[in-house]
Amino acid sequence: MNIPQSPAKPVPVVQPWARPFWDAARAGKLVLQHCEDCAMPIHYPRIACPHCGSDRLGWRAASGRGTVYSYTVVVSNAPSAFLADMPYVVAVIELDEGVRMLSNIVDCDVDALRCDMPVEVVFEELTEEFTLPKFRPSR
Amino acid sequence: MSGNRGKTAIVGIGEIPTGRYPERGAIGFALDAARLAIADAGISKDEIDFVIPTTAVFSFQFSNELTTCRLVEELGLKNVSANATVFSGGSSSTNALRIASALIETGRARSILFVHCEKLGTGLSAQGGIDLFSTAGISMEWEVPFGQHYSTVAALATQRYKYETGTTDEELSAVCVSNRKWAELNPNAFFRKPLSLDEVMASKMLSTPLRAKHSNMLFDGAAAFIVTSAERARELTAKPAYVLGEGGVVTHFAYHQEPDLTRFGWAQAGRQAFAEAGIAPADIDVAEIYDSYPVYQLIAFEEIGLCPRGEAGAMHLRGETWPGGRLPTTTDGGMLSKGHIGAGGSVSLLVEAARQVMGRAGERQVPDCRFAVETAVGGTYMDAQVTILGNEIP
Repeated sequence: MNIPQSPAKPVPVVQPWARPFWDAARAGKLVLQHCEDCAMPIHYPRIACPHCGSDRLGWRAASGRGTVYSYTVVVSNAPSAFLADMPYVVAVIELDEGVRMLSNIVDCDVDALRCDMPVEVVFEELTEEFTLPKFRPSR
Repeated sequence: MSGNRGKTAIVGIGEIPTGRYPERGAIGFALDAARLAIADAGISKDEIDFVIPTTAVFSFQFSNELTTCRLVEELGLKNVSANATVFSGGSSSTNALRIASALIETGRARSILFVHCEKLGTGLSAQGGIDLFSTAGISMEWEVPFGQHYSTVAALATQRYKYETGTTDEELSAVCVSNRKWAELNPNAFFRKPLSLDEVMASKMLSTPLRAKHSNMLFDGAAAFIVTSAERARELTAKPAYVLGEGGVVTHFAYHQEPDLTRFGWAQAGRQAFAEAGIAPADIDVAEIYDSYPVYQLIAFEEIGLCPRGEAGAMHLRGETWPGGRLPTTTDGGMLSKGHIGAGGSVSLLVEAARQVMGRAGERQVPDCRFAVETAVGGTYMDAQVTILGNEIP
């Protein structure tokens, strides 16, 4: 099959208030925003707390553990930049802190994936500037 | 009588067949649909005093022309006070109807023309369509870098919905078969050849558990409708499509932020719409359910109360949603068989709901159809919009 040459992978279009998340990921750490007033954990990062509206927001290291809320194995008809990656897994991860994140599940047997299975964070460098937090089945 | 029940009505509809028209400009489709709607309403073009176009996503330039009154000029409408685009992706139809009704109820307008047209079937390549819809409504910071696109969006809901409800691949695939049964009767549908359950289940896997025939395809098309006051509607026809109830809730932008991918906001939106209409789900004669992928038809069908959770798939499999079935559903064939025309996916469904209650649905007319429910959703299922139409006011 003639697979067209893939364009460069899209990099995150970063909002300034989310920069600490991406800086931490580049250093191999998963951090989450939380509200200093109502204490709720927040992801993705916001300019103000989506629960109480406060702009007193802080950052904390996350456990890096969670479960698979849902997942899918992409085997055809991917966007151009991802054609060469097939099969790849897109998943919604429910972090132990109680927030959700969209990511990929890597380093796994795709036939053994299940909803609600435990996963842990790993980091994959995308470019010099960006490292993406991804997940693998818990060991 | 509650709030706005039955104060306005759809009195005319127009639609061109969904298809591929590489030689035609989208403006031609828009004008055809608008002129059909004006003729169907039986009014003079100069009775229209407000125009609501919606955005055509295939061309920024063309959408600008719609926004800057091209339709008014091309049609020669002489008494238009305002031309204002309403766009919310796949829920544009419902939001336009909601805004049109409010304008009429407050006396700001008398007769409003809504027009949608799109050229997604020939304005883009197949891979171009996948790429466009890998960013439209998908977070460029939190989802696009992970390869999220519309197949994965649908597959994520399908996977979790199957897990929670026990719905089988057969039952999911039965949505495609049911909608095709209706498309076979619809001259405006693109896919009209019979489709078997085996064909759906043997089609190419895209993103597990979603297969090629679980997916909509993009086409060219156009539809329009005319909204006016209930008083004017009664002068025009014995069976207007009264706007009886509307409900809506916006739940998210980024798909992973939706708290429940097996429910969305449909229950709340449905309760609002049925309360305003003063009828119950059991009173519904025809359901026009947004069906960009089978799982969404099942979820909305259940959540607005047409059957208990987890049972919609079996209903589709048993033929209860087919022509002649207990609850005819998505009777124009839907996006899965009539074809997806962008925001027009739900315009088609709203036009079909009006067509059924006005008794103008030809071979697929549901007998004694009094009440229709229509659902619409935009973005990556960012909102849940429910409209109830009827040819009488309860």
